[in-house]
Amino acid sequence: MFIDFLENIFLSNQSKEAIVWKEQPYTYANLVEQLRLWQEKLNQHNVQPGTVVMVQADYSPASIALFLALIEKQCIFVPITSSVAAQKKEFIEVSQVELVITIDESDNARFENTEISSAHTFYETLREEAVPGLVLFSSGSTGKSKAAVHDLAKLLDKFKVPRHAMRAISFLLYDHIGGVNTLLYTLSNAGCLITLENRQPDYVLRMVEKFAVELLPTSPSFINLMLISDAYKNYDISSLTTVTYGTEPMPESTLAQFHRLFPDIRLLQTYGLSELGIMRSKSKDSSSLWMKVGGEGFETRIVEGILHIKAYSAMLGYLNAPSPFTADGWFNTGDMVEQDGEYIKILGRESEIINVGGQKVFPAEVESVLQQLDEVAEAQVFGQENAILGNVVSAKIRLSNSVNDWDKSQAKKMLKKHCMGHLESFKIPAKFYFDDAEQFSARFKKQRTKVA
Amino acid sequence: MSMRETLLSIIEQSFEELNDTREPGNLLSFHPEVALYGANSSLDSVDLVNLLLAIEERIEDELDISFTIANEKALSQKNSPFKTVKSLCDYLQIELAK
Repeated sequence: MFIDFLENIFLSNQSKEAIVWKEQPYTYANLVEQLRLWQEKLNQHNVQPGTVVMVQADYSPASIALFLALIEKQCIFVPITSSVAAQKKEFIEVSQVELVITIDESDNARFENTEISSAHTFYETLREEAVPGLVLFSSGSTGKSKAAVHDLAKLLDKFKVPRHAMRAISFLLYDHIGGVNTLLYTLSNAGCLITLENRQPDYVLRMVEKFAVELLPTSPSFINLMLISDAYKNYDISSLTTVTYGTEPMPESTLAQFHRLFPDIRLLQTYGLSELGIMRSKSKDSSSLWMKVGGEGFETRIVEGILHIKAYSAMLGYLNAPSPFTADGWFNTGDMVEQDGEYIKILGRESEIINVGGQKVFPAEVESVLQQLDEVAEAQVFGQENAILGNVVSAKIRLSNSVNDWDKSQAKKMLKKHCMGHLESFKIPAKFYFDDAEQFSARFKKQRTKVA
Repeated sequence: MSMRETLLSIIEQSFEELNDTREPGNLLSFHPEVALYGANSSLDSVDLVNLLLAIEERIEDELDISFTIANEKALSQKNSPFKTVKSLCDYLQIELAK
């Protein structure tokens, strides 16, 4: 009953392409078949309504059909992708996952029961109301991911309003609110989702050309990288009508350059949070960072320069953190904004989270890895602006006295090597500064080369 | 050493610095036509940024010039300076002479 409206759309568009996976098209008829198959599989495995099911997958016909089957079954769906594999165990514990379904690269599934029995007030609420749930992991200020629990029935509501069908690239991930949004938008309008095997500009734009993609939901960093790689010169991307970007502040110069190169592509900023869902937004024009946010189901207000949102589709709360809502339901986004009439402009995060190309880095996490080393007496991690990725991670280090005969490059090498084993590459400090200049000045002396 | 040779040597040393922390099977080779970013490159965006920062640091240490390579001007050039070692060297030679 929750996906009836989707099934009706699928059934009246059976011959249309629904998904392109590994460069092969799958029609809505195929998707319905897959959906039936998965409904049967869930029954065979005796999956009951209210079960907390983690799905580790990337977009594919199976993972999409499974998502829909879990909604219909009133399960609580916890999507993860291999990009967070390192945190899988933590995510299973935090969200009290009862069943893990892993879908591999060939679309084969594996079922594993965790022997965990879930009990949480929010889960009880979902079960009592007999609605499906969704758990998304979002960033917390201490480096621990926060698990946001959503009522999926509410999130689905906004997709019942018919909109324009688009051929869209699934750039944002399966476990990301933006990814879920792209998927549901595309399917609910009988569009086509073109899935990706990697997110390199060259490959993405080749897919745009090959599959006549109209919508590319992406990040400012990708737009930067697309311009740097010159990839756009090699492909005919004239099918592209809309590029949306969100998740990090956009440099105005990139926007202007993109608009100069592609005057016919509409650039839209989107605004969404794992806690609230994606709001409808409207950019003033393609070269403007000013936008209107809101739309049905969302109210906004600005308190001391910070954007607050009240959303119909807001999460019930975090599984592992106190409620971030005010008593009357407002959510403090932590985003500083400027206001001009009904338009706002996002200035950046209030907090210290470092946004590297749309991926979040918590200083505390990196600092703790650096401090595992005996050679490090003190480490302070912070973000520095970078024109390509928005920000890079930088670290100020005070080395212990035991290694005071080291030179800068030796120290850097050792620190980076240690980080490699413990952090994803974008979290590893790109710049190191060594503190206590006086102590180190002899060893960190500038080496000069004669220049003719 | 001419300015060009100095810059090439700085870029080469920065490649070596990147290689110090790469898996043995995934080392970057250095020559003037090697692609820095794009389909033919083995560098991803994080590698590219790390390389540019390493070069910046060496330019500062060795030439005593403080210069941010990845700036808005570089990003909005018609032909990206970050295509190959050679295009980067061309770009640096012009910008550092200013």
